[in-house]
Amino acid sequence: MHSSSTSQGENGLGRWLIYGVLALMALVYLLPLFVMLVTSFKTGTDIRTGSLISLPQEWVTDSWQAAWGTACTGVTCDGIKGYFWNSIKMVVPAVLISTFIGAFNGYVISKWRFKGSDLFFSLMLFGCFLPFQLVLLPMAAMLGKLGLANTTTGLVLVHVIYGVAFTTLFFRNYYINVPDELVKAAKLDGAGFFTIFWAILLPISKPIIMVTIIWQFTSIWNDFLFGVVYSGADSQPITVALNNLVNTSTGVKAYNVDMAAAIIAALPTLFVYFVAGKYFVRGLTAGSVKG
Amino acid sequence: MPVTHTNTPAPLASTTPWQDKMQVWLPKLILSPTIVVTLICVYGFVIWTGLLSFTKSRFLPQFDFVGWRQYERLLNNDRWITACENLLIFGGLFIAICLLIGVLLAIFLDQKIQQEGMIRTIYLYPMALSFIVTGTAWKWILNPGLGLENLVHQMGFTDFKFDWLVNSDMAVYTLVIAAVWQSSGFVMALFLAGLRGIDSSIINAAQIDGASKPRIYWSIILPCLRPVFFSAIIILSHLAIKSFDLVTALTSGGPGYSSDLPALFMYSHSFTRGQMGLGAASAIMMLAGILAILVPYLYSELRGKRNA
Amino acid sequence: MAKLDLIDIRKTYPKSDLETLKGINISIEPGEFLILVGPSGCGKSTLMNTIAGLEDISSGEIRINDVDVSGLAPKDRDIAMVFQSYALYPNMTVRENMAFGLKIRKTPTTEIDAEIKRVSELLQIDHLLDRKPSQLSGGQQQRVAMGRALARRPKLYLFDEPLSNLDAKLRVEMRTEVKKLHQRLGTTIVYVTHDQIEAMTLADRIAVMKAGEVQQLGSPYEIYNHPTNMFVAGFMGSPSMNFVPITVLENSDAHACTELTGSDGKAQLLALPDKLKTYVGKKLMLGLRPEHISQQLSHHSETDLISAARFNIEILEPTGPETIAQITINDHAVHCRLAPDLSITAGQDLDLMIDVSKASFFDPDSERNILL
Repeated sequence: MHSSSTSQGENGLGRWLIYGVLALMALVYLLPLFVMLVTSFKTGTDIRTGSLISLPQEWVTDSWQAAWGTACTGVTCDGIKGYFWNSIKMVVPAVLISTFIGAFNGYVISKWRFKGSDLFFSLMLFGCFLPFQLVLLPMAAMLGKLGLANTTTGLVLVHVIYGVAFTTLFFRNYYINVPDELVKAAKLDGAGFFTIFWAILLPISKPIIMVTIIWQFTSIWNDFLFGVVYSGADSQPITVALNNLVNTSTGVKAYNVDMAAAIIAALPTLFVYFVAGKYFVRGLTAGSVKG
Repeated sequence: MPVTHTNTPAPLASTTPWQDKMQVWLPKLILSPTIVVTLICVYGFVIWTGLLSFTKSRFLPQFDFVGWRQYERLLNNDRWITACENLLIFGGLFIAICLLIGVLLAIFLDQKIQQEGMIRTIYLYPMALSFIVTGTAWKWILNPGLGLENLVHQMGFTDFKFDWLVNSDMAVYTLVIAAVWQSSGFVMALFLAGLRGIDSSIINAAQIDGASKPRIYWSIILPCLRPVFFSAIIILSHLAIKSFDLVTALTSGGPGYSSDLPALFMYSHSFTRGQMGLGAASAIMMLAGILAILVPYLYSELRGKRNA
Repeated sequence: MAKLDLIDIRKTYPKSDLETLKGINISIEPGEFLILVGPSGCGKSTLMNTIAGLEDISSGEIRINDVDVSGLAPKDRDIAMVFQSYALYPNMTVRENMAFGLKIRKTPTTEIDAEIKRVSELLQIDHLLDRKPSQLSGGQQQRVAMGRALARRPKLYLFDEPLSNLDAKLRVEMRTEVKKLHQRLGTTIVYVTHDQIEAMTLADRIAVMKAGEVQQLGSPYEIYNHPTNMFVAGFMGSPSMNFVPITVLENSDAHACTELTGSDGKAQLLALPDKLKTYVGKKLMLGLRPEHISQQLSHHSETDLISAARFNIEILEPTGPETIAQITINDHAVHCRLAPDLSITAGQDLDLMIDVSKASFFDPDSERNILL
């Protein structure tokens, strides 16, 4: 991408300084991850005798097994595996449904504008800025009325409702840059509302679908607020379980198990980040700068 | 003029007026569920929360109106006052440090660094983590017994004391550390994108005018990034105001309620302490806080767009 | 081939007090090439979109072959359109782009193939059929856009500034191509452009529009030589028509004439057509095209309405085939077209011939051509 030649008149010292600062900061950002990793492979005694950044005396996977299968999260002691699946059962439908709805909404708002659609879009944008604390209480009441309190379905519903503002924003901003003439040409060719969407717009939407899915996946997987308020004992997502595990005050603190559990909770989003980082960053900047 | 069209034109797919009517209604039909849900679940719910804040609801919503009493209780509540003060400290430091680190790293990274892609990936990965994970990790690192303090002791500085996590005067600053670690890379990415968007001919012109590099950054490039500063401030203050997961995982608002934040206050009063009316009032105060930042921003944004 | 009648088309956008189209009446004969021309914002593109059905009209009627189509959806009007940006479907190959409309109309595959073969050979794009639009040059994309329109054999073709995204050389080539195509196929075409040369070279008839109204509808010859008002006169032609304010006088022979004052302040008499005798004593606007002021020509003897006059040449702009010179008449800058081989320099005085028989005269207030 960039030429490797040192640029115009930069003195060597300045460059070394820049590289030094950048490398130091990279270490600072990496350190917590490193600490988590080494701690998760240490034994309890190793933690007490070693230091934060020392390598394990002996690499053991006991705490990973404990975190996954036997650690106590509040009342039960079955590890976090069940909650990991709870999260998956919640994330997959919520991401797919909200992306699907957002795509259609964005298509309508950008290409089939009608009286009031722009006003509605502004109203919706405001929804992106709303602190969710404002809707927690009424939503709890509504979920109760619908019989969805403490269920995964209820959580999916909540995530779809408050995720659609973002997915709509993403697709709208993408489609607004697709020339209107493309739609006009398709109309003259005889294509209708759905044909234009399936045959013309959807095939060129791959990047924004990736961005939206990754954004939704990350924010729903990482959500804690809705999870802690609306889930029941057997529908808790992994973030809630992790917090319960870490803040369970019974017995000695097992930091190695905490770290293993934290890494497990972080793995899916980290994986997505390292595989599709380009789309992740684009989503972050698009979702926030334009929002 | 010669006519070369010999065969008959392709017949039109027969459509009834009913289908044409449908084409007009379809877009509205598609959007209407979202409209209804947004009106109810965003605007309706905010109004509902507003109403609740004027009632004496405790464990269940009930509509005995008590006027401004919940707000009076809120303003006389030490824990709420602490939470608001903490938000000012936490939010102010969090935003300032993130901006500083973000701008500096972005400028440094924009100097044709060879490993830019890799470094950027490292700076940004914390953003992919849940605040609960971040909180868990930093809770261990900042742990006074075995964490950072112990590490420095082992390096020979046995007088070193670092107990912020359990020190009620300092606990709120641990939130700042963890939050900055998680979000500053993102601010860097925002500024880097902004820097890349600046027309390089402006910089060339300044160089021809004889301006030094720091001078170019200070008096030309940074002013050009004004909009990025504004969006970054908006995003960060939004993050700060609704910050709930980090404080839950890292300090649980403790020791005592010394590191409480409004979002945590709202949650615990509404859902665990049976003070629904008070919780609703605190939520409305949070909305007021967001609006105080957002409305002037949106106003200037919209005005700018109209003039453009 | 179809006939198109636009009857009193009016259009007002919601939330706007101004009418975008203020009663457009145009009848287009089968096989006619009609060009809508005018400055941006004159409503020509809106008019085009209403013909296509992409925008509704507020009142009036659009008739294709005497059938009112104003209420029909675009797809039911049997119209094809070529867009300024080409609007090729980016995810489809050239072949799929051309076949899309036919497929939607459920045309049998064999017929589609035959049609694509015919059109692609006609436009010489048969070697590009399996490429995506992004792999084509601007000129090729332009051809594909036309091919897509041709493949459906619609009743009517609409071209919305189709050549304006091409570079100058390619634009001239494609202009010829479009003209050839029209001559071969004899299709009815409505073509929007802001390029007056395109309008002059391509059109059977030109409709010059301004502020939602048709200023003049006529053949290129009529538009150029007999403009109905100063706007049309000034819009068509480059360099544009010179407007010189004059006062009509009567000379000793009882003929109409006027005085032209050059930059030196000396007045020279210019004979005017006798039709202007009723305007003696009144102020008029004299419209002279640059080519009607030229150097003295040996074979061009002075007649009643071709007068000689001497002016100071202020600026010379050689373009190759001709030289544009600027002089001052009655305090107004006036361009004239001179032969390129004339050996003069700026600042010299030169004897010029002014051909008043080709001039137009306008009322300075209403700006209308008073001789039409």
